[in-house]
Amino acid sequence: MIFHPLKTDYAGRGAPMFRLALKTGLLTVLTLGFYRFWMKTRMRRYYWSAIRPGGQPLEFTGTATEMLTGFLTAVVFLAFYIGIVNLLLMFFSFSLFAGQAPAYVVSFVGLVPLIFFAQYRARRYIFARTRWRGIRFGLEPGVKGFVWRSILWWSATVLTAGLLFPAQVWSLEKYRTDRTWYGDAQFAQGGDWKSLFGAMKHVYLGAAIAGGGAAAEYFLEDEIWLVAIAMGAVWTALGWAYWKAHRFKRLTEQKTVAGAGFRCTPRPGKLVGIYLGGSLAISGILFALLFVFGIAVGVLFGVVDEDVLEAGMDITDLAQLPAWMGLVAGIFGYFTVFLFWGVLKEVFITMPIARHFAETTEIVNGEGLSAVRQRDRDDFVEAEGFADALPLGDGI
Amino acid sequence: MSTAPDNTLSGFGDYFDGARARVQRVAVTVFPDKVMFEPAEGKPVIWRADELRALPDQADRTGIVLYRAGDKLARLAVPDETIAGALRANAPQLTRRPPVENKGRIAGWALGAVASVALIIFVLVPIMANQLATRLPPDGEKALGDATYEQIRTALSEGDFVPLETCEAPDGLAALDAMIARLDPGDDLPYPLEVSVLDHPMANAFALPGGRVVLFRGLIEEASGPDEVAAVLAHEIGHVVNRDPTRDALRLAGSVGVLGLLFGDFAGGTVVLVLANQLINAKYSQAAESGADEYAHALLTDAGLPPSALGTFFERIRAEHGDAEGITAHFSSHPQMTARIEAALAADAGRTAEMVPSLNRSQWRAFSRVCGGAEGSGEDSAHEKAPASAQHWQDGDES
Ligand SMILES: [Zn+2]
Repeated sequence: MIFHPLKTDYAGRGAPMFRLALKTGLLTVLTLGFYRFWMKTRMRRYYWSAIRPGGQPLEFTGTATEMLTGFLTAVVFLAFYIGIVNLLLMFFSFSLFAGQAPAYVVSFVGLVPLIFFAQYRARRYIFARTRWRGIRFGLEPGVKGFVWRSILWWSATVLTAGLLFPAQVWSLEKYRTDRTWYGDAQFAQGGDWKSLFGAMKHVYLGAAIAGGGAAAEYFLEDEIWLVAIAMGAVWTALGWAYWKAHRFKRLTEQKTVAGAGFRCTPRPGKLVGIYLGGSLAISGILFALLFVFGIAVGVLFGVVDEDVLEAGMDITDLAQLPAWMGLVAGIFGYFTVFLFWGVLKEVFITMPIARHFAETTEIVNGEGLSAVRQRDRDDFVEAEGFADALPLGDGI
Repeated sequence: MSTAPDNTLSGFGDYFDGARARVQRVAVTVFPDKVMFEPAEGKPVIWRADELRALPDQADRTGIVLYRAGDKLARLAVPDETIAGALRANAPQLTRRPPVENKGRIAGWALGAVASVALIIFVLVPIMANQLATRLPPDGEKALGDATYEQIRTALSEGDFVPLETCEAPDGLAALDAMIARLDPGDDLPYPLEVSVLDHPMANAFALPGGRVVLFRGLIEEASGPDEVAAVLAHEIGHVVNRDPTRDALRLAGSVGVLGLLFGDFAGGTVVLVLANQLINAKYSQAAESGADEYAHALLTDAGLPPSALGTFFERIRAEHGDAEGITAHFSSHPQMTARIEAALAADAGRTAEMVPSLNRSQWRAFSRVCGGAEGSGEDSAHEKAPASAQHWQDGDES
């Protein structure tokens, strides 16, 4: 019997995603942010179920109340840090340096280990709440090792001006992958620390061109070298898409679980297309929205004062609007743009990217997967509370 | 879709038993009151219609993924649209959510979080701020004051992010210098007093760390004479001498971050943050206000000025604008204000006649025009009313 590779379908569609993101985003705004745990849960359920390896959807089983509890846990710890420690830092910063910059720096440096901590714990929670074919994923406890490795690797990355970044990415990914399980089957990350340098080649090349151009411009003082800088910058930006695609390909294709492997064919050009097309679509729609909003304010204003409507619209008339009305219109406009920006980003950027990576990934030699058995539930009180409470720039 | 008793639908589905990762392709039969399917091994499985639940928020809109109420693991995925439709029509509680588990623990954590945040904001941070405020060296205090001064000017400038203008007519500033010289706090301050006038219509004044006192144009317009301005100035100097603004700034540094943490930085959070910030800062404590009053009383008496001007000025503004506006909000926390006014008036009664006003007539005229604009008190009608958007700054003791 020959096992065909398991292709991945992607079931996400723009219109339902738009409705879900708009509805949950609106509720989040209206509840002063309280609904955000429900929003996140529902969006994840959608995104997870859209990915269907072998035609079977992933399932996200996390709950909003779980995330809320985790967040509150984190708040208890972080409130202390942020309140007391920042106050002390502020005091010493103004006492010793007569300025607040040192306080900000120390405060941020103090947060760094906490950020790595939050990253690992958030992944542990997400894996523990993800199922495929009814079987749970899982990530072993091991946050301490991850935090000190992250600190070392990030220091090395910063000290080498980013040259070691691919080695850092591979190494930290290996630490986590080797602790990842699908049911009773353990994942393994192959390759070595040199695996990802090839994926970075266009970024290095672009940076070298821009750097060389800048040096030449500085020493030769000829403006023609500005062209080299611009070329290098564009090359670097496109090279970043190449990095994203090939990092994913290399890391995923070197993973194995229960005898199965992966084949990935993401295209950097497609990613660039999604970013460019998506940004254009988002800004176009937002401008249209602002235009409509402006007309709506005008109409409202006309209703308020009929004389002015007869006299025709004039921008200086806006100054005669009662102050509270201007304020309400301003707040409303701000939240509308904020909300739609978030919603449109999901529809035009996040989902198309997820679709592309899903549709270009397939499972090979998947015959061993059917024998995988269920693993125990990971009761994880803290959920991803720290990642929620810290500004981690939230991926999915 | 017909739901007559003898009418059944059949098709296929994928069953996952939750024990192994195999896909079991099964024949599915939908009855009006149940669904039945036969896994490869074992007996046929029957799920009653009222026990059927569907996974919510699924991307695939044609099929349906079912589970049985109470069973957390087993799943039946039915891809066919007709059968999914029949199931949706037959199962009355398909969208019912499982009950929330651990309600008690969630409530416990919620209480714990609120209590610890309250403890930090209302107890620990103020205690520490009190202790640290008097230990901050003068240079540090000045730097802290300068930083907050710029923030406040920007915040007051209604949205265009250009800091509010300061008033700098030379004759007016000279008059102000004369008033400051008269009120000299001397050795009470380790740094020189720095008084500026902001071009803002609200009748208000506030003190900042490091010897900075800010008067608003509206306050000068509202005053009936120089002694009332001098009295307010003396009160603000009292705050500076007692380190109240420094205390406040340190307290703010500790609490704002914590509140931001609680509400997150999603849109709603921003608004709550602003409101909470206002609440925290609404007033100095009564003790701080009495302290500043006592100091002002002594300073004014030493300078040969009537301390009662503070009270009469306050009373007049309150009569005109009510309690919530500008400087009245600042003073409304004053303990026994009325009693103090009466006492001060009584004390002044015999002496007022011999007192020399803090500014002579031409100095006062110059001072009234320190922001340019029309002469006199309260006549500048173009700026008379504070815009609504500025009202949240009505308290004078922002720092
Ligand atoms: Zn006061």
